[in-house]
Amino acid sequence: MAVPQDLFYAKTHEWVSLEDGIATVGITDFAQSQLSDLTFVELPEVGATFEADDEVAVVESVKAAADIYAPVAGEVIEINAELEDAPELINKDAFGAGWLFKLKVVDESEVDNMLDAESYEDLCPAD
Amino acid sequence: MNAWSVHFSDPVSYQTGLDIQHRLLKARQENKIPDTVLILQHKPVVTLGNRGRANYLLKTEEEYRELGIELFHAERGGDVTFHGPGQWVLYPILYLGGNEADSHGYLYNLEEIAIRTLGDYGTEGFRREGKSGAWTDAGKIAAIGFRLKKWVSFHGMSFNVSNDLMGFDTIVPCGLVGEPVASLKTILGDACPEMGKVCDSLLNHFSTVCNRDLERFDADGEMPPALQELIRNL
Repeated sequence: MAVPQDLFYAKTHEWVSLEDGIATVGITDFAQSQLSDLTFVELPEVGATFEADDEVAVVESVKAAADIYAPVAGEVIEINAELEDAPELINKDAFGAGWLFKLKVVDESEVDNMLDAESYEDLCPAD
Repeated sequence: MNAWSVHFSDPVSYQTGLDIQHRLLKARQENKIPDTVLILQHKPVVTLGNRGRANYLLKTEEEYRELGIELFHAERGGDVTFHGPGQWVLYPILYLGGNEADSHGYLYNLEEIAIRTLGDYGTEGFRREGKSGAWTDAGKIAAIGFRLKKWVSFHGMSFNVSNDLMGFDTIVPCGLVGEPVASLKTILGDACPEMGKVCDSLLNHFSTVCNRDLERFDADGEMPPALQELIRNL
């Protein structure tokens, strides 16, 4: 499964792209494929703050609900409002249009605790 | 991969089942136990999933109480369903976030377990496009709804064996209007197998479909201390 090289990854299958202290967070292609067609996304409030590992969001398919965790600590400054009407964007483009929320990061060095693309790929099934 | 299963012979209240699941979930996330499957029957209860809509409840709270049916909002995916004695409920607490994740997906695997179990008793089970669960010509026989926390599953699947289906008349099962619910008893009549046999079928097929070797325990029998601590003393 193709994994972008320039992102950071969590063991719980979130990805982070970091730019100017802002972390864009989504779930990986592996994660969306395991959850099948998503029908609902519960996103955090803008302004809410989270510690790394906190439960931030819930994604749901017809029969499954899965919790999404904050990969790094920060304040939510934007959520992907398009997902409200089109949660399937996550299935179609998990690493792009299906992003979930953006965090103003407290400590950028926290991404050093995350996995790089190669280590993340080792975590996922070979096919 | 090795896994445990725990079988409960007496019906368990929904709250107790939930408490045990939460304990096992945490222990599994912390790698203190291997993947573990609970198989149990509930006392009569109607549960709504995360997005479950209350308009699929056809009785008032008071009427449910009079019928001896508890009402619960569960944190699982899926819509409204009914559990009661004579129905097996499978709660697999499995880590699904690693290398051994199956490309079929977990939902498919749960459906497969139900379909193969039906096959053991000469009944054809099948999937229906856009409607999850396992179906027979007589109606829906297995319902599915689960949640993942840190990629460990809880909640799961229920499979109707000989339960009183009256409870399903008090709801719109899974929000599917006009779809009948079936049990092995309604299909096979007097040839309906005993609960214990169906339990074996479900666990055998779980083992094959989910590729896990099961070490089986009874809730009131001998079991590893780590497990005993999580199951008892509630």
